[in-house]
Amino acid sequence: MGLEQYQGDMNMCCRCSCCKFIPMQKVMGPQFSYACPSIAKYNFHAYSGGGRLNIASAMLKNGFNYTDKLLHVVYNCQLCGACQVSCNYAMDMEVLEPITEFRFKCVEDGKTSPALDKAVARLRKTGSMLEASGRRGDWAKDLNLKDATKEKVDILYHAGCLSSYDKDAQKLAKTTAQVLQKAGVNFGILGDAEMCCGSRAYQMGYRDDFLKQAEKYMALIRKTGARTLVTGCADGYHAFKVLYDKFNFKKDLEVLHTSELFARLIKEGKLKPRRKVNLAVTYHDPCRLGRLGEPYIHWQGKKIPGDKFVFDPPKPYRRGTNGVYYPPRDVIKSLPGIKFTEMTRIMEYSWCCGAGGGVNESNPEFSIWAAKERVREAIATGAEAIVSTCPWCEQNFSTAIKEMNSSLKVYDIVELVARAI
Amino acid sequence: MAILSRDVYKEFEDVVGPENITDDPALMPSYFNTEHAAIVLPGSTKEVQALVKLCNKHKLRFRAICTGWTGMFPRGIVLFDLRRMNRIIEINEKNMYAVVEPYVISAELQAECMKRGLNFCIKGAGSNCTALLRGHGHMDQTTSGDDRNHLAIEWVTPEGEIVRTGSLGSSDEWFCGDGPGPSLRAILTSAVPPGVTPGVFTKAAIKLYHWPGPTKFPVVGHSPRYTLSHIPPNMMARYYSFPSVEKMWQAEIRIGEAEIAYELMGFNAAMVAANITTCNEEDEAMFKRLSREVQGPGFFIIIAGNSADDFAYKKKVLENIVAEAGGKSLKTVEDPEIEGILLCQCIRISASIRETFRPGGAFNSIPIMGQRDLTIKWAIGAGEAKKPLIEKGLIVDDGGAFFGWGVEHGHLGKTEIFCKYDPSNTEAKKAVEQWQKEQTARAFKERYFALTMGDQTEIGPALSNYHIWWQKTVKAIDPNSVTTESGPLV
Amino acid sequence: MIAKERLVKIVGKHVSDDPAVLEEYSRDISFVHPIKPTYVVYPASMAEVKEIVKLANETQTPLVPVSSGPPHFRGDTVPGTGGAIIVNMSRMKKIINVDRPRRVAMVEPGVTFGELVAAATREGIRLNMPLLPRKTKTVVGSLLEREPVVMPKYQWDISDPVACLEVVFGNGEDFRTGQAAGPGTVEEQWAVGGVQKAPYGPGTASWHRLIQGSQGTIGIVTWASMRCELLPSLEEPFFVGGSELAPILDLTAWLIRLRMVNECFILNNVALAAICAQKWPKDYASLKQSLPPWVLFYNVAGYEYFPEERVKSYIKDITAINQRLGLDAVQALSTVSAIDFLRMVQKPCDDPYWKLRYKGAFEDVLFLTINDKIESQIAAMQEVATRAGYPTTDMGIYIQPIVQGTGLHCEFNLFYDPDDPVEKNCVKALADAAVKELLARGAFFSRPYGDNAALILNRDAATVNMLKRLKNIFDPKYIMNPGKVCF
Repeated sequence: MGLEQYQGDMNMCCRCSCCKFIPMQKVMGPQFSYACPSIAKYNFHAYSGGGRLNIASAMLKNGFNYTDKLLHVVYNCQLCGACQVSCNYAMDMEVLEPITEFRFKCVEDGKTSPALDKAVARLRKTGSMLEASGRRGDWAKDLNLKDATKEKVDILYHAGCLSSYDKDAQKLAKTTAQVLQKAGVNFGILGDAEMCCGSRAYQMGYRDDFLKQAEKYMALIRKTGARTLVTGCADGYHAFKVLYDKFNFKKDLEVLHTSELFARLIKEGKLKPRRKVNLAVTYHDPCRLGRLGEPYIHWQGKKIPGDKFVFDPPKPYRRGTNGVYYPPRDVIKSLPGIKFTEMTRIMEYSWCCGAGGGVNESNPEFSIWAAKERVREAIATGAEAIVSTCPWCEQNFSTAIKEMNSSLKVYDIVELVARAI
Repeated sequence: MAILSRDVYKEFEDVVGPENITDDPALMPSYFNTEHAAIVLPGSTKEVQALVKLCNKHKLRFRAICTGWTGMFPRGIVLFDLRRMNRIIEINEKNMYAVVEPYVISAELQAECMKRGLNFCIKGAGSNCTALLRGHGHMDQTTSGDDRNHLAIEWVTPEGEIVRTGSLGSSDEWFCGDGPGPSLRAILTSAVPPGVTPGVFTKAAIKLYHWPGPTKFPVVGHSPRYTLSHIPPNMMARYYSFPSVEKMWQAEIRIGEAEIAYELMGFNAAMVAANITTCNEEDEAMFKRLSREVQGPGFFIIIAGNSADDFAYKKKVLENIVAEAGGKSLKTVEDPEIEGILLCQCIRISASIRETFRPGGAFNSIPIMGQRDLTIKWAIGAGEAKKPLIEKGLIVDDGGAFFGWGVEHGHLGKTEIFCKYDPSNTEAKKAVEQWQKEQTARAFKERYFALTMGDQTEIGPALSNYHIWWQKTVKAIDPNSVTTESGPLV
Repeated sequence: MIAKERLVKIVGKHVSDDPAVLEEYSRDISFVHPIKPTYVVYPASMAEVKEIVKLANETQTPLVPVSSGPPHFRGDTVPGTGGAIIVNMSRMKKIINVDRPRRVAMVEPGVTFGELVAAATREGIRLNMPLLPRKTKTVVGSLLEREPVVMPKYQWDISDPVACLEVVFGNGEDFRTGQAAGPGTVEEQWAVGGVQKAPYGPGTASWHRLIQGSQGTIGIVTWASMRCELLPSLEEPFFVGGSELAPILDLTAWLIRLRMVNECFILNNVALAAICAQKWPKDYASLKQSLPPWVLFYNVAGYEYFPEERVKSYIKDITAINQRLGLDAVQALSTVSAIDFLRMVQKPCDDPYWKLRYKGAFEDVLFLTINDKIESQIAAMQEVATRAGYPTTDMGIYIQPIVQGTGLHCEFNLFYDPDDPVEKNCVKALADAAVKELLARGAFFSRPYGDNAALILNRDAATVNMLKRLKNIFDPKYIMNPGKVCF
């Protein structure tokens, strides 16, 4: 089916440009009103959600005419889903799915980005897209964590590629483990056996590679017997919770983000933030924890012939309503001494950090451009620090801040929790 | 195949930079599925001017767009996408005007205005469209509409001259667009084709109006169900239905004369349903519910007071007028959640998409500006004529309704009627176009109004031959014929 | 030169070449150079106007349209070239329609304010009037000049209250603007329930805007319709006096922004005394002396529903603003009661015209401006006047907020004795110097009259260029009032 299944959706695009902006009643002025990094940076309508649908729809009808400029359009999109949310405020149609399918189609047709090819080749070869030095489980050395391949645990903690291999990001995995230990959670890790979740391969357009990873990884997870998987990586969260569900790998595995688990533990009194964290902060919703982190909804149906674009049974749309928005905020607000201020673009209409969709790899300059835009928004709140819940976001913000010579700090929520307990 | 030679392309590229021009055929479908000579993204008036001069030099036709919602564009034109011109130049609170570039959308300007207790006419196309668009909108009762909100305009003429109208040209101020002597606002407008002002508006001053509401709405919840945490003080939204069109009109005109409505929108039940629901299925169920709840045609109204006393007075007058006309308040809208949704939909979003595109993806409309009582008389018949199409399942069932509202406290008005349908259904498309043609022809024949979008050789002579004067005007300001007749500046 | 018979053939006996009549039209109370016309014709219908214009095109004869009776003040009705025919529209004085439900009236160009006000009042509606027009001033004449109106709240657009116009363009073709254009004749539109109200169109253009402000250089208007307002059922007018203009401007801006007042304008003590003084010169001098330097006049009104409550609520809100600004609203100032003044400004001026009462002649310096600039412009004017030896204590000032508060009309009335050549020359020199000085300080002379028109228009060559292109379409032979504006 591929792209074809979305022909009806793509035809529904009325070219209203809502996909370029955050939902209208959330627009607070000309500053921070844009939702989509791609159109904000490159300006041609083709770079907007709607423009992408217009092109894909036309090419379905008239044949695929790949040009360099077209491929630039295709790969310079974080697939962050902001367009989907803004569109779906008023419209019943899929936006992100056909955009993603178009990218799959490009990959299938061999119209790839060299940088992404390289990353995926590395995944195929090493099991990770990152240029790894050392072993995947090295971060956990000396922490005395349970090996879930050997011991039965309630919760399996997935550190993710970045927190496993990246020297700066390893602290997140370590700190998370320490916090969980303090809370007395029965959890384990997979150590060197942990795998790439495949999320980023999916985002880059390499669906088959994602499916292979998912299949392999789920087999391993099932083998551990853990009923709950926790991760601090928003990409991973999205993969396990949404994509694995979409492709029927997930079954009854409960997937939690660390922020959700922390919120639960704080509520249950198992985590007690007592030490003051005197800091003015704002919170960045990672796309794949926030709007894209809402549960996948299985649906199959047919368009009802007639005057409306409606289906039997009624088609549910993932409009960003049920993303993970409050647990991270609840955690932050529970920390003594924290002064919390929201940015303009939050929750389902949050601005992307720029790292997703393979843009980090294919066009780092654009990726950091998007991060800088977010940093400016954070600074405008008067915050001393921007807090996120994804190592990819943190990495991008750190680079942006460095390039901007800003004094803004970046923290993962885990780091703040650790300071408070 | 490229339309422009590489040398000519290079000349355009030199103006805007390589990153702001393309003639890549793969990108054209995102610009109305037309093969344009090039798409250029000018960033300033100077760049627009240089591009226009190049068009004259090479005898290339051009057309500018803002967000570019709609339009018909002939092959081979140079398309100016004004997206990079997105600055609010000035908001002058004391003199009640704002100056914007073409890609400032209404939602952006409105948010800035509300911080200052001001507002302006958000056009019916929606707050997602350019703020400098000419047109009508929800708040026309208090913010006027059509061509009446423009003040001074900076205009790059089809020959590439910069004309700064009114006080701007003489004294570098934006507050007035007329004079010295006759007003160039006579021809400076942005509107539906044919007859869009040739050239490009690069900046425009628009009138602002007092906003009695909050500096920002207390929006809570998540898309697509944003609600208000509370109804702002001295503000109320209601929907009243009436036993007949005559009674509705009687109430509407009295409300206008009493100057009490912040907004009066003659929504029908179908449009209320569309606006307060989050998907088509919900919409359909809500329409059925509201259809049972209303007693006949009706309108949606927002009352907003500058003070508690002012609000109390307006409310009292409203209740009297409605009672006199036998009006009934729709209970569904009295629910504060629904009331809040409608306040936001109508003031901040300017409704539109949910009620037009969501059901089938397309709608054909007959919009009429001018004398409200007259156009209502016509619209009753046009609504009746929709019913056979509804029965055949060709268009979305809205009960054969029309809608409209008074402008400037009822001095002027707007009436509109549309059919929503699935554009891929050729039978439906044909039937809707036929309905549109017949009802427009009836309006013309029976002397109600003339839509100037049709065949000019028939319509023009019946309207003082305006089309000939307009053609002469266009020829005078665009001697090289480098502008196109089609394409609104949305 | 056209033979008289040819005109007689069109208008019958209603053509004059009586030297006394021609002399009357050769000059006015302005500094414009006198030029005698060759005839004065008095058409009675649009058909006759068309014939006259066609004849003028054939013979390249300048036409100067005039609707109001004498005296004239701005030079726009004085021929700019020799050989001109004055087209006097005073015979066309039908009040064609006054429609209360649709709040619209339609008149021929010879109808004066006094005549229309009476007819409209009978129907329960009223005009948005200019400030105290002279008794002979026609409604159409005022509308076409874009004269400011005293109820800025109801002036949504600077072209208001014009609705539709019927015009014979300079090339002899007739045209109806706005809703009146069609389909159908005006009578056919009435038959189906239509009135001539919506100003825009047909098509994209708003043709009336081109005719307004043109000083008769585009065509001759043969009727005009205009929006009207309801007659209030309760009115409570007030004065707010003060020695400083700034707080009064501030109050005015808020009153208009909140749309709480109908009539609303500012006069200095000189202008207010000139309007209100009963016995001259004694009353004038004492009244001027007793009035504060600046006086804001505003009127709070109620209509059909609970007028007392509405007026009460507005007065309460206005009082709060006044208190914040340290101002007091009163119902009488010196010997002038606000209610009497209101009744006065709701009608045209009794004879003699108030601007003529003091010295028999005057020159107005009038322009548009904004709140931010007006005080410095007034100061500049006072300096220029002082330099010219004109006593600033004799200078009337009228500030009229326009278009719901987006701008201000500012008018300096320079009164002089027409029989005193020294005083006359002083005022002429002062007016010329004032225009220059005020232009430099951002004043916008949107209605450029007389000898200073060129100076004003030279500042905006791009607009002039575009206006000339339009002129070439509508009056290609330049027969319409040549020498005026930039044509």
